[in-house]
Amino acid sequence: MTQTRSNSSKPAIISEEQQTNTHTNTYTESSETLAEKEPELMVKKRVPDWLNNSMLSSPAPVVSPPSKSRSQSPPPPSSSHHDLLGSYTSKSSSVYSYNSSTVIQPPVPIPPPTFIRPEPPTKPARTPRTDFRDPLTRISDSDNDISSSVEDASRQTNLIQALSRKIINMRELRRLASEGIPDGAGIRSTVWKLLLAYLPCDKALWSSELAKKRSQYNQFKEDFLMNPLLKVSVASQSEITRKLEDSASLQNGENTSAGKGLLPRSEIPHGEHPLSLGKTSVWNQFFQDTEIIDQIDRDVKRTHPDIDFFCGDSASSKANQDSLRNILIVYAKLNPGIRYVQGMNEILAPLFYVFKNDPDEDYSRNAEADTFFCFVELLSGIRDNFVQQLDNSVVGIRSTILKLSLLLKEHDEELWRHLDITTKVNPQFYAFRWITLLLTQEFIFTDSLHIWDTLLSDPEGPQETLLRVCCAMLILVRRRLLAGDFTANLKLLQSYPSTTNISHLLYVANKLRSHHHS
Amino acid sequence: MVLVLAIGDLHIPHRAPDLPAKFKSMLVPGKIQHIICTGNLCIKEVHDYLKSLCPSLHITRGEYDEDARYPETKTLTIGQFKLGLCHGHQVVPWGDLDSLAMLQRQLDVDILVSGHTHQFKAYKHEAGVVINPGSATGAYSSITYDVNPSFVLMDIDGLRVVVYVYELIDGEVKVDKIDFKKTSTATI
Repeated sequence: MTQTRSNSSKPAIISEEQQTNTHTNTYTESSETLAEKEPELMVKKRVPDWLNNSMLSSPAPVVSPPSKSRSQSPPPPSSSHHDLLGSYTSKSSSVYSYNSSTVIQPPVPIPPPTFIRPEPPTKPARTPRTDFRDPLTRISDSDNDISSSVEDASRQTNLIQALSRKIINMRELRRLASEGIPDGAGIRSTVWKLLLAYLPCDKALWSSELAKKRSQYNQFKEDFLMNPLLKVSVASQSEITRKLEDSASLQNGENTSAGKGLLPRSEIPHGEHPLSLGKTSVWNQFFQDTEIIDQIDRDVKRTHPDIDFFCGDSASSKANQDSLRNILIVYAKLNPGIRYVQGMNEILAPLFYVFKNDPDEDYSRNAEADTFFCFVELLSGIRDNFVQQLDNSVVGIRSTILKLSLLLKEHDEELWRHLDITTKVNPQFYAFRWITLLLTQEFIFTDSLHIWDTLLSDPEGPQETLLRVCCAMLILVRRRLLAGDFTANLKLLQSYPSTTNISHLLYVANKLRSHHHS
Repeated sequence: MVLVLAIGDLHIPHRAPDLPAKFKSMLVPGKIQHIICTGNLCIKEVHDYLKSLCPSLHITRGEYDEDARYPETKTLTIGQFKLGLCHGHQVVPWGDLDSLAMLQRQLDVDILVSGHTHQFKAYKHEAGVVINPGSATGAYSSITYDVNPSFVLMDIDGLRVVVYVYELIDGEVKVDKIDFKKTSTATI
């Protein structure tokens, strides 16, 4: 399900145009795609004014309201390093200019520069190109904006400052987080843990909380991941040993000649045989669990096959996969109502990635336990999307999709009308995956991390923000959608151009909020 | 933990139309790792059905089997145990412990599974264990009409075997358990 863009490594805009052009064959859009890359050039007819105005902001130091001041720079010409990642080559550097900042370090827990200072664009981490497939080791352009790196640096300082307080101000943290968290120094890892209410606000309590939760997780693992047959045999062991002891004493009398005779039969407790179909039978549980475990296993192996962290041959990727598997199994066992549904692995992956790549040794080692609890927390908000029976209910995915539709109608009626009525693109065809998987499948991995920064910073749960981001996604490609028919639109929306400038997308989404009147 | 189904003497279609419904509902694919069948299925359809339960199927030839290619005896190793399989009509007197013990020594196995008498038995002697899973359909035998449908499921786990005996008595499935261990030096 990951988007694989097999591009050649030509970094220039032209290649991007060509590639995005394959999406919609009918419409000549060279100017259009350019426009999408450079928001300031977007001239959209009949687009709400505020949307239009914001486009006309100046390129480099973007003066937009405090947040989305990420890379609004014109895409730089060069980019030898764009061929870094096979499938991710097509990204324009403008998207990643924010990445230019301060810490580009391989997220493997190597002791990093702990504090980020506003660096000049010559990045120290230019060299480690070892892990090609690791998205965060992408090297950004140097010729990119000193301005944006300064901004990133300032954001980073702000965050570090916010985190260094004794009692963390959650509101401020959320505000800062929604602007985007820089990629280094384990900030994201800590911030996400705070946002997901895993770590308490009071820093003094952190160590005790962490110890408690981690031991709890280990207890869960022991309970659930132990071979269930051992439980059966352990339970029956007592009976057997008793009988053996009894019969041994008897046998010793009989056993004189040859130890012959009929073997003693024993009754078994109700239904405890391997073919039992009873719901309470340990065996039946075991077989049912095996099915789920098989499915979890299959999905884990398919998670992000292009990222080395998850899907490589090294021992560490195997260990990572094992951790993912364990978390999902424990979750399935703890939640018999929902068990495991395909897609949960996609929600889990970014969490684990971020936590595991925390430069702090202790955090990295315990990433599995931490991820488990954060996963539970995150899923608790969106679990209704995974329950099939709730699909048609008020809390189910259908109604959420309907909300998205209404949101689009409110902000851009023309587009809504065109999509829903004229071309009859049922939002379920594209929005289902967007919503249930929190946009992890629509953009490349690092981009989705940035989107998640914003999603998780919403105090009321990610859904509201998610809908706004989805709406923004639709609005950003409105020109193409308006020009396309059913097939073209569906194709576009089901493989949403991952070259989208994420900060711009989030900016638009944010704008939708201020114009939202309900 | 290997589940091995020992079943046999179905005599379908000559003496019985099918397995009892209650047995059939319990025998679902995916749970059992091996099936050893004493013989007298008798037709290919039964073979296919058993194959659908589990791809690892071992059969020996009973005197009424229509497929003449099944071997007379078979041995296989599962876990720490050597199992021997034979229909049993070749061993005279039928069902006699000493004669079966001779066969067991001949095959050099820990557990001998044989049938033909259509009666469930689990014997122990110094050379090992003999298990007769009985007739899964309750077909009449050469000796008697009074046959309860039965089969056996063995759970082999290291040096320990738990034998679950499934019998259909008065329309109800009764399950009993027999447990034995193999000491590493000597057989049971």
